Amino acid sequence: MRWVACAALLLAAIALTSCRFIATANVPALANEGAGHGAAPFDPDKSVTSIWAPKVVPYFEKKGGPFVQVRELAAKSPDEAGARFGYRAKSEGTPWTLMTRIDGVVVGADTESRAATIDIDVSGQGKTDAVVQIGPAIRGTAIRDALGFVSFNDFTNQIDFAQFGKAFNTYVYHETLEKLPRESLIGRKVSVLGAYPLVSTADTPLVTPVAIIIGPKP
Amino acid sequence: MKIRYALAGVMLASSMIGGSAYAADLIAVITPSHDNPFFKAEAEGAEAKAKGLGYDVISLVHDDDANKQSQLIDTAIARGAKAIVLDNAGADATVAAVKKAKEAGIPSFLIDREINASGIALAQIVSNNYQGAQLGGQQFVKLMGEKGNYVELVGKESDTNAGIRSKGYHDVIDEYPDMKMVSRQSANWDQQQAFQKMESILQANPNIKGVISGNDTMAMGAEAALKAAGRSDIIVVGFDGSNDVRDSIKQGGIKATVLQPAYREAQLAVEQADAYIKTKAAPKSEKQLMDCVLITPSNAAKLETFELKQ
Repeated sequence: MRWVACAALLLAAIALTSCRFIATANVPALANEGAGHGAAPFDPDKSVTSIWAPKVVPYFEKKGGPFVQVRELAAKSPDEAGARFGYRAKSEGTPWTLMTRIDGVVVGADTESRAATIDIDVSGQGKTDAVVQIGPAIRGTAIRDALGFVSFNDFTNQIDFAQFGKAFNTYVYHETLEKLPRESLIGRKVSVLGAYPLVSTADTPLVTPVAIIIGPKP
Repeated sequence: MKIRYALAGVMLASSMIGGSAYAADLIAVITPSHDNPFFKAEAEGAEAKAKGLGYDVISLVHDDDANKQSQLIDTAIARGAKAIVLDNAGADATVAAVKKAKEAGIPSFLIDREINASGIALAQIVSNNYQGAQLGGQQFVKLMGEKGNYVELVGKESDTNAGIRSKGYHDVIDEYPDMKMVSRQSANWDQQQAFQKMESILQANPNIKGVISGNDTMAMGAEAALKAAGRSDIIVVGFDGSNDVRDSIKQGGIKATVLQPAYREAQLAVEQADAYIKTKAAPKSEKQLMDCVLITPSNAAKLETFELKQ
């Protein structure tokens, strides 16, 4: 329920009068199954459901930084930005995954593709600062990769680890993104809590949300 | 034992003086057949790094035969190797072989392929195949215009990488209801098998628009069969980042592949083996993923022997 409180704050912060709130809560309080292999066959969806509300969202709330701050620090020092706002597994060739809160305005939307996205202007200059995935097809495993308490060592193999990564995307789509408006998005206010891999500081961040609020038509 | 320690002392003293009359420590590099340039590149990457660090190297191939692999592990033990760098012959079948080496006091550093057990090898350094396959799958969907009939060529079933790449592809492609898979067959990572399979698949399904392959050698086989049948219109996407596929991409044949940093992975395994031999420091994390890179006509020129030149 922590996200509800957070959402209320966000709402107040962006001063929307009749914002459409998309709940990510109401997750059944299952016992924490843990992510790894054990006696029972690994069930990625059940694992994600069990940790989402108690662990994942609070983790993002705690570590996520305001977008401009995260972007500026990442441009200056990826490692500093990563240590403060992100996580990466300790192997070579793995990019940082950064967590961020984005408040801005929708300036573009691709809802034709199954991998639908919205472009968000944060700085108010009419340019795209971040691209946010709204599904149903969601690229990558940014949510999983942001979580410092998840390790590949705890999985039998890449297949289980991949299924776990995919399960976060499926979960956030069905709990949240599926219910978002898909029409006349341009000009609406938007608030996102999400993660993106810092592949290159030159690329526009491609953010996978764990929570998102899209305001009414302006 | 005392004699051996004394001898080691002499060797150490000798090497400190700068002499190289005594044999250096040995690292065994065991991979699948070098017929596939991917395995050749990683074996060479490991050899070059090991020699550069002053080791002797034996390079052996198991030809994806778990029994042969077991014999090669015995050879490495008998030769007194200080470490084994291994691209293994099966996720389940290899567990016992690596355990055998561990019990003989020889640490294994796995590259490219995983085993279905942890705590036995000191390192499992593998490409982030799922991430890479998603890149390849996305590019394939884009090239196909998000619709059309396609074929998937799958790798060897005993190799986790065959399954993980297929999963990565399908987790992307299956999001597009107008993408229709008409045939899915294993060609066991093999170029010749892929050529034959592609010929028969094409006869049964002339109306295909694309082929997505679990590795580059199968992509090369499929591309050759399609070319022979006069069907250069069919989109082929591979996985590995071999020089053969790079050249095909540059000539407008195969449309894309996904680079695995194989050369670097092999070198990293040797660096970690070296650290362990010298200081008993095990890698921080046993399972290590290295991200892959999409290769298209725009960056193919920078690709050389499984490395992207800056």
